[in-house]
Amino acid sequence: MASHPAQPLELNGTNASVRAYIENTLATLVHGLTLPPAEAHLSLILKRRANSASCMINAVTGALEACPRVESTRTYSWPGKTVYEEWKFTVILKVLAILDQAIRTGQLISKRDIYYIDPEFFRAQYVIDGIIDDLAYTIGVDRGALNVDTLIPRIEDGDQIEISQIRWVLVIEKEGKGYPDLSTRLFLRKLFDLALNRNRPLRFYALTDGDPHGMAIMSTYKYGSAAHLHENARLSIPQLQWLGLRVSDIIAVPEVLGDKALLSLTERDRRKIISMLRNSPVWACNGPEKQWRAELQRMLFLNAKAEIEILYECSGGLEGWIERRMFRQE
Amino acid sequence: MDIFSLAVTEKQVLTAGGSSDIKVHSTADADFPLVQSIDNAHNVGCHHIVTDGRGSRAITSGFDGKIKVWVCQDGYWAAEQKLTADLEAAKAWAIALSEDGQYLAGVNQEGRIKVWDLAADATQIRDHETKGSYGTCIDLSADGRFIATGHADGSVYIFTTETGRMPFSLAGLVKNVRTVAFSPAGKILAAAGDTRVIVLYDTASGEQIASFTGHTAWIMSLSWSSTGEYLLSSGFDGKIKVWSMQTKTCVATLSETDKAVWSAKWLPKIGKTEAFATAGENCSIAFYREATG
Repeated sequence: MASHPAQPLELNGTNASVRAYIENTLATLVHGLTLPPAEAHLSLILKRRANSASCMINAVTGALEACPRVESTRTYSWPGKTVYEEWKFTVILKVLAILDQAIRTGQLISKRDIYYIDPEFFRAQYVIDGIIDDLAYTIGVDRGALNVDTLIPRIEDGDQIEISQIRWVLVIEKEGKGYPDLSTRLFLRKLFDLALNRNRPLRFYALTDGDPHGMAIMSTYKYGSAAHLHENARLSIPQLQWLGLRVSDIIAVPEVLGDKALLSLTERDRRKIISMLRNSPVWACNGPEKQWRAELQRMLFLNAKAEIEILYECSGGLEGWIERRMFRQE
Repeated sequence: MDIFSLAVTEKQVLTAGGSSDIKVHSTADADFPLVQSIDNAHNVGCHHIVTDGRGSRAITSGFDGKIKVWVCQDGYWAAEQKLTADLEAAKAWAIALSEDGQYLAGVNQEGRIKVWDLAADATQIRDHETKGSYGTCIDLSADGRFIATGHADGSVYIFTTETGRMPFSLAGLVKNVRTVAFSPAGKILAAAGDTRVIVLYDTASGEQIASFTGHTAWIMSLSWSSTGEYLLSSGFDGKIKVWSMQTKTCVATLSETDKAVWSAKWLPKIGKTEAFATAGENCSIAFYREATG
């Protein structure tokens, strides 16, 4: 899941379709409970969101986007055929009850809030994130209207991914999408693994902010995170290429972008850089990434950092910059 | 790895940069051979190296914030543990060493300028406050009378070492100052940076006496020839320029690289030949001879 911003869901009762859906669904279930078990057919039906099979790289924006797809639904029944199905049914029901309560009281609530109401029962934040996204999709509410943003589809066993038309994958650090979570890395790695079985190599590029966090994010994709050392081997993208952003990319073309586009490092930035240089084997003097090490040192030396947003100002905008840079690297 | 800083002694050039070692090249031989490599000097890299006039003492400032002292005997450099330990708490970004090697001056990220007496267990003897803008560069005049600093907000300061006062305030540059350098006689201070203009100040009055335009990228380094006849400048775009003080014009432009040249330094004059060394992003030192006779 992209991230778990503390933004509240806009379920404050203003959206009639949200209210109607929840009320109808709960009423139907309550009615079902009054019937004899043989006739009850207690079930919840959710439309399935963009799954991994319908995911592609948009050649224009360079971003990972969902393709138009055939609609499908998934039904969760009680009693379920499996323990998982019963658990999932009750989780969805509980989420609906929480949303219902929130709407009735006019209270704003975030995905994170919901998860922490009963973390043991919900098991993981992504469970809640997934259900919220499924519900929004089922109700037909725009994801933006729900303030829910999901960028990376979750890969599950058995999911099929069609990659024959994909030439490269660009990982962009966007606002709110910083350090990748496991499902994001798993997805990229899945693409990477699939590409090993074809003749044409699939290229992976990273475009992150030209600051210590951007470099650390890129390193998490390529080498993995310190927090999941035991999982990195199956999640890393060793062929990931550094597209940018380098501080020198901005300084080199001041006529276009202007010196003002650069920012000074903060004290925290400096401490972060020094800690990366000192503690991580990735940036070590005899480590694998001499240019990454040099870039961190140049940031300190120049007391400068650069954010991707700067590229919107250059010729052709962000897309223009990316196209030119990729052409150069190819 | 990048070479961020060069220091020149009578017979050697010392380099410090992104790798963890300090390299020493001999300028006594025609092909400038590498004569020593001090391994693991600064594990996270080093951004400044300075030496005294005799080439007997060097100070390095590392990216980890550590300042280290090195001594030279018979052309061979070794760590000076005692003074390095004495300077443990000294915080400085850019550093300058007096001609006699006794005083170390440094400017830090808060814009404070400090002076340590290396003949007295590195006791701090001066602490000048400026407006708080990041201190990017510093120089000490050869006669030891002045300290000059350049800052991220474009300010340039001159302090009189004897009184610890600013004799006048300078009209700074409008953008980040990357380099300041006193002429050999200490009469002129040159300053440059992101404005791409070199500004010359009269150190007796603080008045701006000239400016050199011609660089089209940030100016990263300035160095005066031993006689003060020529000023050397290097840019972020790899361009290196030589300016004549007599004609106040650019007499040579070298553009052999498009990689940033972080440091450019004149070598001691041998006969009538002036020579200089440059280094930067392309990770090697280049030596140039200027036939000026």
